[in-house]
Amino acid sequence: MIASLLIAPLVLSAGLLLARSWTLNRLALLMYAILHLSCSFRLYGNPESFLAYFQTDHLNILFLFVVSILFAGIAIYCQDFLSDETMALKANTYFTVGLLLFVFSLTGATLSSHLGLFWVFMEATTLSSAPLVYFYGTRSTMEATWKYIFICSIGISLAFVGIILLSMGETRNFDSLFFHDLYAHVGQVMPFWLKIAFPFLLIGFGTKMGLAPVHAWLPDAHSEAPSPVSALLSGALLNTAFLGILRVTKLINLAQLGRITSLLFLWVGFLSLFVGAVFLLRNKNYKRMLAYSSIENMGILAIGIGAGGLGVWAAMLHLFAHSLSKASLFLTSGNILKIYQSKHIEDAKGLLEKDPRSGWIWILSFFSLMGFPPFPIFLSKFFILMALWQKGYAILALLFIVLVIVILYGMGRSILVMSLGEIERPVVTQKLPGLVYWPQIIFLLLLFGAGFLPPVLCQLLDQTASAF
Amino acid sequence: MINLIIILFGLSLLYISAISRLEGYIKALAFQGFLLTILVLNSFGHLNPWNFAFLILETLGFKAIIIPQFLMRTIRENEISRETEPYISHFYSLLFTSLIFALGFFLAYWAREHVAGLGHLHFGISISTIVFGLFIILTRKKLITHTMGFMIVENGIFLLSLSKVHEMPMIVNTGVLLDIFLVVLLLGIFINKIESTIENPDVDRLTYLKD
Repeated sequence: MIASLLIAPLVLSAGLLLARSWTLNRLALLMYAILHLSCSFRLYGNPESFLAYFQTDHLNILFLFVVSILFAGIAIYCQDFLSDETMALKANTYFTVGLLLFVFSLTGATLSSHLGLFWVFMEATTLSSAPLVYFYGTRSTMEATWKYIFICSIGISLAFVGIILLSMGETRNFDSLFFHDLYAHVGQVMPFWLKIAFPFLLIGFGTKMGLAPVHAWLPDAHSEAPSPVSALLSGALLNTAFLGILRVTKLINLAQLGRITSLLFLWVGFLSLFVGAVFLLRNKNYKRMLAYSSIENMGILAIGIGAGGLGVWAAMLHLFAHSLSKASLFLTSGNILKIYQSKHIEDAKGLLEKDPRSGWIWILSFFSLMGFPPFPIFLSKFFILMALWQKGYAILALLFIVLVIVILYGMGRSILVMSLGEIERPVVTQKLPGLVYWPQIIFLLLLFGAGFLPPVLCQLLDQTASAF
Repeated sequence: MINLIIILFGLSLLYISAISRLEGYIKALAFQGFLLTILVLNSFGHLNPWNFAFLILETLGFKAIIIPQFLMRTIRENEISRETEPYISHFYSLLFTSLIFALGFFLAYWAREHVAGLGHLHFGISISTIVFGLFIILTRKKLITHTMGFMIVENGIFLLSLSKVHEMPMIVNTGVLLDIFLVVLLLGIFINKIESTIENPDVDRLTYLKD
């Protein structure tokens, strides 16, 4: 099962590079998406391990599911995106291969049971997604790609320093970086080195996750990349980096150093929330707006983990719901870009009138992202708030409410202007095909269902939260 | 012997912080690659032959010869001016470098009871090199100097990982993967100039995307 997940994209990529066909490109994406989704479902009940280096456990299965669901939606969306006749065949093939390899590296990182291997796959995610960010080849994409690669390579280097420091703390008769070995023999790692290694790993993987203050690459890369890629970056890549942080945090917590991790998580979490709030108040570009919202939501995840207890469960729910809502928004932003040919909020008014379907999806996804009931983010934010309150962080809870309201105002204003404002510029009148709406509709239906906390979801979240 | 090599490595950082010509940086980087080769040679016998050969190839071939050559060529062909264009004067640059060394040695001193089988000098200089690389990135203007700063960070990481070469050679080998980023960044600069997508590879010009 795991073997097929990892080998299929490589075989498909090689085949596509040889075949060079429009139809095969699209077909390959669909095939891998179906394979991914079915494997995830099969792996849910039956944990499996492959070559000892890859395995599914209670923690990573949720992350694998999110990658599967998002990729399935994006594969459907790409059926339209890749049938654009103005795109050269070469570009079309490179895009498809890049996307396959990107999902491959995300899957590899998610399934890694070894810290070193996880790091290697994290590096691979940067390398495989950089050409996708650069896809349009303009001056601004060049700049975004440069920042993306450079900042992430510094981040990943620091994470590697963390890994070396961690391994330095291991006693003479214990030298393993398998997560399960580390958890089982946590007493064999000197706490001193754990304490030093953790900040490096947090900053290193946190760069990839988009936590403030090391988020600088995120708005540029997300806004300049093609919309399906932005959706995958925001919905899957950030989570995968978060998984790495969770794995390491679990180790530190097992070593009875939970106070440090909790404090650091709360700091970076609130800082990210603050950065998100400040930039969302004055955004002019709707794709950058979504990117800043990702920083904000990663901050909320960090706060959930920092609060502990109920907060961890809520963070898992938030992760699932944020990924689907944000992917839905990013995919819709692709439709809007197609209609208005501009990323500026001022240029893209009157969406409900121009394209009611995109307009409603845009508004509903926004409601989901902001946590209007019955969407699940309402519950996740509420539970995180409760967790903060229970831990006695009353001031932080208050700050959380204030920042969330500021963000609601900042984003809500832009979303309303775009949906309801009057059309001011001549816009493309072609009708968009149904394919560019279905993924978002499916995501929204899933979110709507998840808001009622069906037993299947609860069980999955319980498992994940207790595995942390 | 080892300590002498490590001290020379530290001196190369002071040299970089004080000069203003890009060629000087490249020479210092090649020199660092050469020193790392000697350190790898020193671990002969602890590593299996293939791994040993790989690390020699990486340090001597890649770090000491290929990359410096390629950097020289990039500077020539892209007609990059030879000035490093720092944001701060040489005096402050040297001052900060000294502070970074102090920080590195302080950390080494602080960790002295927990460091098993690793020299204080080795640990201190490694950490200083990593921080110094970041310092170069922050205080120099050109993209190519940033890439060199990244290479210094990477050399520091390599130096640090060499302390685990006996117990976990895997760590040293994994760290070599960071070179892929270096190559991507360098090729980015090299190709970018040819296609002239960004008119001038200075960070000052990277201001098109902002809020």
